[in-house]
Amino acid sequence: MNNPASRNTFHRIPGMLRAVIIASAFWALSLSLTVESGSATAVLGCLAACLSADRWVNARPLDQVRLSSIALTTLGFVALTYWLAGLIVNSALMSSLLSPIGAFKTAEALLWFSIGFMASVMLRSLALRTPFGSFLEVLFVATAFIITLSAHRNGMIHRPFFIGDYALIRGLDPATILMVIGCFAVITISALLMVEKDQRRLPYHFVVIALLCLSLIGYVQFFGLPTPSVTDDMGLTGQELSGSRRQRENPFRDGENTSEDKQAPVAVIVFRDDYSPLNGSYYFRESAYSQFNGVMLDYSSRDDMDVDLISSFTNSELSATSMPESEEQHKQVKTTVGMLIPHRNPFGLETPVTYSSAANPNNSRFKRTYDTLSWAPTYNLEFLLGRKAGRESWSDTVRSEYLLLPEDTRYQDLAETIVADLKPEYVDDPFAIAWAIKSYLDKNGTYSLKNDHAYEEDPAASFLFGDLTGYCMHFSFAATYLYRSLGIPARVGIGYSVPASNRAGGSALLIQAVHGHAWPEIYLKDVGWVIVDPAPQKTLVDMSTDPQNELQQMLGDMLRDDTSYTEFMESQRAGLMDIKTLLTVIAAFVVAILCLGYCTRAYRSVAPGFCSTEKKSQFAYRAMLDQLAAVGITRNYGESREHFAMRAAITSPTIQTATATHLACSLGINRQSRSDYWDSLRREVNKEVSENIPGWRRAIGLLNPYSWAFTR
Amino acid sequence: MSDKLPVDSKTGSPADDVSEGPTADQDLRQAISILHKLSCSVKKQVLGRDDVIDLTIIALVAGGHVLLEDFPGSGKTTLAKALGEAIKSEESTEDKIFAAFRRIQFTPDLLPSDVTGVPVFDSNSSAFHFRPGPLFAHIVLADEINRTSPKVQSAMLEAMGEKQVTVDNTTYLLDDLFFVIATQNPLDLVGTYPLPTPQLDRFLFKITMNHIDRDSEMSVLETYIDRRNDLLTPEFVTRKQVLSARQAIEDNVNIHTAIKACLVDISRNLRDDDRVLQGNSTRSLVLMLPALQVAAALQHRNFVSAEDIELLLPKVLGHRVELAPGVAGKEKVFSDCMQAPMEQLARSTLL
Repeated sequence: MNNPASRNTFHRIPGMLRAVIIASAFWALSLSLTVESGSATAVLGCLAACLSADRWVNARPLDQVRLSSIALTTLGFVALTYWLAGLIVNSALMSSLLSPIGAFKTAEALLWFSIGFMASVMLRSLALRTPFGSFLEVLFVATAFIITLSAHRNGMIHRPFFIGDYALIRGLDPATILMVIGCFAVITISALLMVEKDQRRLPYHFVVIALLCLSLIGYVQFFGLPTPSVTDDMGLTGQELSGSRRQRENPFRDGENTSEDKQAPVAVIVFRDDYSPLNGSYYFRESAYSQFNGVMLDYSSRDDMDVDLISSFTNSELSATSMPESEEQHKQVKTTVGMLIPHRNPFGLETPVTYSSAANPNNSRFKRTYDTLSWAPTYNLEFLLGRKAGRESWSDTVRSEYLLLPEDTRYQDLAETIVADLKPEYVDDPFAIAWAIKSYLDKNGTYSLKNDHAYEEDPAASFLFGDLTGYCMHFSFAATYLYRSLGIPARVGIGYSVPASNRAGGSALLIQAVHGHAWPEIYLKDVGWVIVDPAPQKTLVDMSTDPQNELQQMLGDMLRDDTSYTEFMESQRAGLMDIKTLLTVIAAFVVAILCLGYCTRAYRSVAPGFCSTEKKSQFAYRAMLDQLAAVGITRNYGESREHFAMRAAITSPTIQTATATHLACSLGINRQSRSDYWDSLRREVNKEVSENIPGWRRAIGLLNPYSWAFTR
Repeated sequence: MSDKLPVDSKTGSPADDVSEGPTADQDLRQAISILHKLSCSVKKQVLGRDDVIDLTIIALVAGGHVLLEDFPGSGKTTLAKALGEAIKSEESTEDKIFAAFRRIQFTPDLLPSDVTGVPVFDSNSSAFHFRPGPLFAHIVLADEINRTSPKVQSAMLEAMGEKQVTVDNTTYLLDDLFFVIATQNPLDLVGTYPLPTPQLDRFLFKITMNHIDRDSEMSVLETYIDRRNDLLTPEFVTRKQVLSARQAIEDNVNIHTAIKACLVDISRNLRDDDRVLQGNSTRSLVLMLPALQVAAALQHRNFVSAEDIELLLPKVLGHRVELAPGVAGKEKVFSDCMQAPMEQLARSTLL
């Protein structure tokens, strides 16, 4: 320590550590705002600024400059480089010299270097000159990580990709990793703050902060982050709805149904098992309107309704809490879904029972990819005849919820009129009734994207008892009300319906915006939810789409890219350690540290027994100090041994004699001392400690592996 | 000081038993007993000033001088006189040049020759004979030293520094035991010549005295008649004994390198401290070493320890270190600068 060089190195370490932390915070912030060159120079600028600010801000001649002048200068420099960067981008000379991309990158690099440098100079100057500045610094680092973290929440993939990729490959949440990094950064920088302010008592508070951070991580691990409200862009009209209203939009008021963007691809499905639908269309269910809220059907707010639906994304695996019944009439079909635009809920081939996160082969293309296992129906219509409606396990409230409809007697009147034509053996058969209603709508309804009923109090009634002209929403709502009026539990399924012919023989299926669909479905006992979808014979619009076989195949191949993806996974796994190994290593490390502590402690306690007589006074005295330190009696910093002995004499009077003897051996002429004398002193101290210190305190001291570290 | 630690608290430790040699050990023991005899006899005369007496004896045995800062009537003359009377010269009264105790009251019109002595013409032998002044004594009380002119002060200080006086180009050696207790009044500064820092450097200790506590003051009042009547101290030590004790302590009390390192580090810290205008000299550290040895011996130790540094350092450096303008609280500065070296010293014993 007396060597000035070593002291300087020692003093520089905290500064460098802080510079690295602030620079990484800058890097995280700049990632989403600039190109690589900008991020890199931001880091460089930040490092340079931190190190030079530590050195110069409070030294001559800069210490004469006021803080406000520094602030103004930094702002001025940022403005100047902003202007300069604009000049580089706009100048024809630079772009011809460096190519336009090169000019842009140079400008970004320049701008971000100046931003990084000046902001760090400002932060460091504040921290060095004002009492609150260092807290601003901590706040800045925390904010940088929180912003990065929030970009990753809810399973979103965001920069920095290598963290996201690393985590998603292993089925982890990147948010957790980022949070751990962020917590560490904040804790470290707070620790540095304390070290510099020399507040020795604060480590205690610091441990509390660490525990809070850990519990936060634990909370996120177990309960997840709060789900942000994502727009309900089912692509029903091909338009993404903006805004984050949690309230469902009135499904009838979804704007003008123009045919623009009808072709827009929404998702691509790769079938892993062979399956072709019965009625010519693949249905992908995402959610359902099942609860009547007094005006119309809405998402269910009850936990015991629609238990077959899965309404959240996950980074691991999710299963529906309720499986369809009659396993033999379903086929288990595995599909992989690649979403091309974000969705609020996962969807899958009817009926999806399991979602599991899947590797994203191309995260600039797919917003999200996952595997689903579906129980696709294979029954024919005869199988459905003669079944009872509803499920036995439903409570009465749930059953009645599925039967609620507007208080409008016309629904039942119409339904009964329709059913009256049925053959007598089918009058009480729910499926036959449903089918008759569907046939009625098929025959009399007209498909049109014109939306004349949107602002009626009950658009479904306006449609059904009016011109019978509308689109899927109208048909499905009307049909559902008609089913319900005759006591058949029904709901409106939401999702996509794609004609089977679109698959064109391949295993990939492209879902386009135009395929967004709503359909009525009824619950048949021992079968499950059965789609009884009206298909109007008259239509005013051409809903057919150009087959996009090439796109379909390309996206399918991309999503299916198993081999290259497996190789990628292997290459990732080979280089990096598995999280379990990491945890094991950490656990082993902790155990090793504990063992090391106990071993050292044991050694220090037995060493006086076999050391040389010259060392006896040191070792024996140290063992006594260890014993006192274990029960919390330690020498203060800078306190002389005699002073400490005087304080400790309340607990153990012998320590005074021991201290005098020890000092006589260490500082006096004679280094020898009698071994048995020291042993008797130790016994005395031992006795006095056990007499004067309560048992629980001694027990805690015994457990602490590093109590000896407090011996000074 | 000595009442905090029992006199025989450390004598039983085995480290003493296996000392380097029986003679060395015996010498030291004898020296310690002399010191205690001296301090006991002075403490009988001066009550409630045990800490000052101990420091004064330390300075006496270490060959330094003491500057007391206190109020009139606080017992400093009594202290100096008691000390002078506790040391008996073994020389016969005829050829005795050195008195046991002299007091000089410093005034503005005092001349150097009043202090040092003056050659007087002897008509019998038709020659000048030197008549020694009050400095030719074992213990000299220089009362209110700041009231006299710088000329006298410097004559006084030469005597203190070199233990000799020069009159008419003839140098007269002073006694080996020559010991000055100077005083100055901290408040009444009108018409004084404050001692400059280099002159203050001649004093080993500057002791600022506070009023004694109530019990001591009570016993001063109750026993003053006894003490006045019993002026001749029954217990006394001889000059030779004191000198041999000085030698024995110098030879036998160990100063570990860690102690010296600690001292050097403290003074380096002091010099580097922003609050300090001028740090202490290297000489002050050299002067401090014998004082530390005596302080250790007073505690029955044959080695210097951190305790001695804690005790003496503020007294030795207090008047040598000048704080920057506007900085108050020398104690705080000292304790700040001492902390790290003292920690280093304490740790060194376990290394």
